[in-house]
Amino acid sequence: MKDTAYQSPDLSVEEFAVENGSYYAHEFARIQGKTGFSWSWNTMAAVCGPLWGAARGAWGFFWMFLVLELFALVQIGRGLWGELGADQLARYERLLSNIAKREAQAADLTAAGDAAGAAAKLKIADNLRAAADKALEAATAANSTAVAILLTGLALMAAIKLAEGFYANTAYEAQYLRWRSGQKAQSGMSRNGLIFGAIGLLAIWPLTLVRFTVAKPDEALANVTGGLLGGRLPITEFPVGKEYFAALSKKGDAGFDWLANNFGDVFDGVTVGIRWVLDGLEVLLIQTPWPVVMFVTVVMALRLAGPRVAIFTAASLAYLAFMGLWELAMITVALIGAGAFLCVAIGIPLGIWFGKSKRAYAIAEPVLDFMQTMPAFVYLIPIIAFFGTGKPPGVLATLVFAMPPVIRLTALGMRGVPEATKEAAVAFGCSRRQLLFNVELPLALPSIMTGINQTILMSLSMVVIASLIGAEGLGALILEALQYAAKGQGLLGGLAILFCAMVIDRIAQGAYRQKTGGH
Amino acid sequence: MTEHVITLDGVWKIFGANSGAAMEAIRKRGLGKAEVLEEFNCVVGIADVSFEVKRGEIFCVMGLSGSGKSTMVRHLNRLIEPTTGNISVMGRDMLTLSDADLREMRAMNIGMVFQHMALLPHRTVRDNVGFPLQVRGEPKSTRWEVSQRCLDKVNLTGFEDRFPAELSGGMQQRVGLARALASDPDVLLMDEPFSALDPLIRRQLQDQFMKLSAELNKTTVFITHDLDEAIRIGNRIAIMKDGRIVQIGTPEEIVTQPADDYVRDFVEGISKLKLVFAHSIMVPISEYQPTRPVDFDESPRAHHGTDLDQLIDIATSTENVIVITGDDGTDIGVVDRATLLKGIQGGKA
Repeated sequence: MKDTAYQSPDLSVEEFAVENGSYYAHEFARIQGKTGFSWSWNTMAAVCGPLWGAARGAWGFFWMFLVLELFALVQIGRGLWGELGADQLARYERLLSNIAKREAQAADLTAAGDAAGAAAKLKIADNLRAAADKALEAATAANSTAVAILLTGLALMAAIKLAEGFYANTAYEAQYLRWRSGQKAQSGMSRNGLIFGAIGLLAIWPLTLVRFTVAKPDEALANVTGGLLGGRLPITEFPVGKEYFAALSKKGDAGFDWLANNFGDVFDGVTVGIRWVLDGLEVLLIQTPWPVVMFVTVVMALRLAGPRVAIFTAASLAYLAFMGLWELAMITVALIGAGAFLCVAIGIPLGIWFGKSKRAYAIAEPVLDFMQTMPAFVYLIPIIAFFGTGKPPGVLATLVFAMPPVIRLTALGMRGVPEATKEAAVAFGCSRRQLLFNVELPLALPSIMTGINQTILMSLSMVVIASLIGAEGLGALILEALQYAAKGQGLLGGLAILFCAMVIDRIAQGAYRQKTGGH
Repeated sequence: MTEHVITLDGVWKIFGANSGAAMEAIRKRGLGKAEVLEEFNCVVGIADVSFEVKRGEIFCVMGLSGSGKSTMVRHLNRLIEPTTGNISVMGRDMLTLSDADLREMRAMNIGMVFQHMALLPHRTVRDNVGFPLQVRGEPKSTRWEVSQRCLDKVNLTGFEDRFPAELSGGMQQRVGLARALASDPDVLLMDEPFSALDPLIRRQLQDQFMKLSAELNKTTVFITHDLDEAIRIGNRIAIMKDGRIVQIGTPEEIVTQPADDYVRDFVEGISKLKLVFAHSIMVPISEYQPTRPVDFDESPRAHHGTDLDQLIDIATSTENVIVITGDDGTDIGVVDRATLLKGIQGGKA
């Protein structure tokens, strides 16, 4: 056998494999001498299966074949001792006892002289007998499939063993390459690995086998242990009810109540603040005559983002107007505007802080994840408890969901400012404030703008959910459509929200692009 | 004003959380770099660096990557705080300056040029150059006037309204130089300014810098990893290794009397013809023992500051030895063919 891959791979392979080094050196040379798959047989791996992988530190191999062999074993177990017709047999026995009962009743009735009644009971008993015969038939039929299942299981096991034997060396060679390049990979055989593998097998196989092959696994297991641990061992379900959950959730209720009672003024203050922003925007958008709002919007789109966006804006506004959704749309935009404004006003300073302080960011990161992944309905509950219903709580719910992107992207932008540029600015005498406004913020601006854009779009997606707690607008329209399954209304409302989002987004993007002179 | 614009005295910088304890141990037990790393998990950035730079001098600091030269130059405007030692610039103790005074020093007295230019990408060339003045609170008209003047000096007239990304590397570095000159500082710190440029542009910028420097007469600390560059530009050169200065001297001293093997390795490939002068290879006239009769009156005369290149020219035009004269015109030494050849080879005659 000529080696083509390495000058002298044998030495390092033997050092890697330790036990049976020369065998592996030979097999690896064959694998490395061919492109594509090469048929290399490892008897040890085929016989020992997952345990070979455990001993050799090939954990991918171990887990994969542990599961596959378990599957084959379940089939074999079902074929050998599985109570295949058990449920049908139980039904058969139930039916038999029913028949006996009817017949006894019939005998009583005959004795009492009610021949018609007795005949009726006997008729029922006959019907039951037919059903019982069917059940018995099904049970025997199920039993007779046992052999087929057993054979399938054995064939499966044989195929898995073949796969193990042929795959082992390929997997092991890959591990050898990892070991060679100094990555963490076990070399030689490890007793600890073997022990761990054996424990794994013992923990997983027996219980799973029992669960899938025996009709009443809890009782069967109790029988095996000789009833020492009670009449049934609960392996099919965890032996704890709702008691802990109930106790904790009651504590939670009390906590929220306490907060709502003691910090009512704070929550009211927040509500007032949000309402203030919201009212300002609503006056601007709703009280101002619609032709003015439309004109200003279209001109703004034209000046900031060009003629194409202006045409799109005009068309979208026309849609809203002709569908009679103008006022609802303006309420929605005011809602989003207030949400986005607060997100930016709070999020950018936080983002700057997190961008500068690694520690603060490490603490904030899980909170941000929490804000983004927690389903909205969960924090709607405390929001209602603290702030009641209506638009300001709706804005708050939007804040929770829509603020993380602007914080994250501001922090990202701040950290992306090259150290060299900051250093140069400091070398020319910049104070921290000058550094922030002249260097860091301008260089982080693209990232911050992306964050603002994300925030606006995410606010829009919260509109429907905010309507659940009484925020009016297009969201409420869609919620209503959902309640009455009004498909057309839902679609038109959805389109209206989409157009609002796209108009805001396109104008903002266009304005930013024009400012930076980019494309 | 003192003669020395910049003075460093026993400056150490040790990076790491335990730098105080590490410094103590170095003082008491004389630990080396590797031991400090092992025992305190601290890295010695610069070790016991002392030197002075005279007014108007170009002081080159040469060393390989990791030798601490960029760390050292950042101490001069306190971008990096030393662990211990004294630093004074223009007679002021840099370490006791308040934050406001330090910012003022940086904005008014110390200009800096960086290896990677570090221009602000969102500002035009003009506003980049005017940035130090803006930091100082100068009005726009002054800023624009000064930056125009500085851009003219570095031959970038006409590029004022471009953005840095629109310029080539060499042009960007000239913007960097103009920015450093904008505040008309007394001290110029140049941190490998030409290292990132290709050789041809580098040479052009070196020439341009030398011309500018002769004209402006600024005290300059010039960091480089290229000995050729150091020799071309520097009045004096300091060679750094592992955070320490191993030798300080004029280019000639460095080339003719390398302090140790490390410096000798560097100097090996350097052409000495323009760096070695008659006085350092000549035999004093009183000690000269001719191998054959010579008539000094027939010999050509050369000033003791004549370099080897010129001495070769003289030697090829005569059969005689060359007599070297002092500043007052008296004969002080002799260079014969053997001495000259030895001198070219690099050893002392």
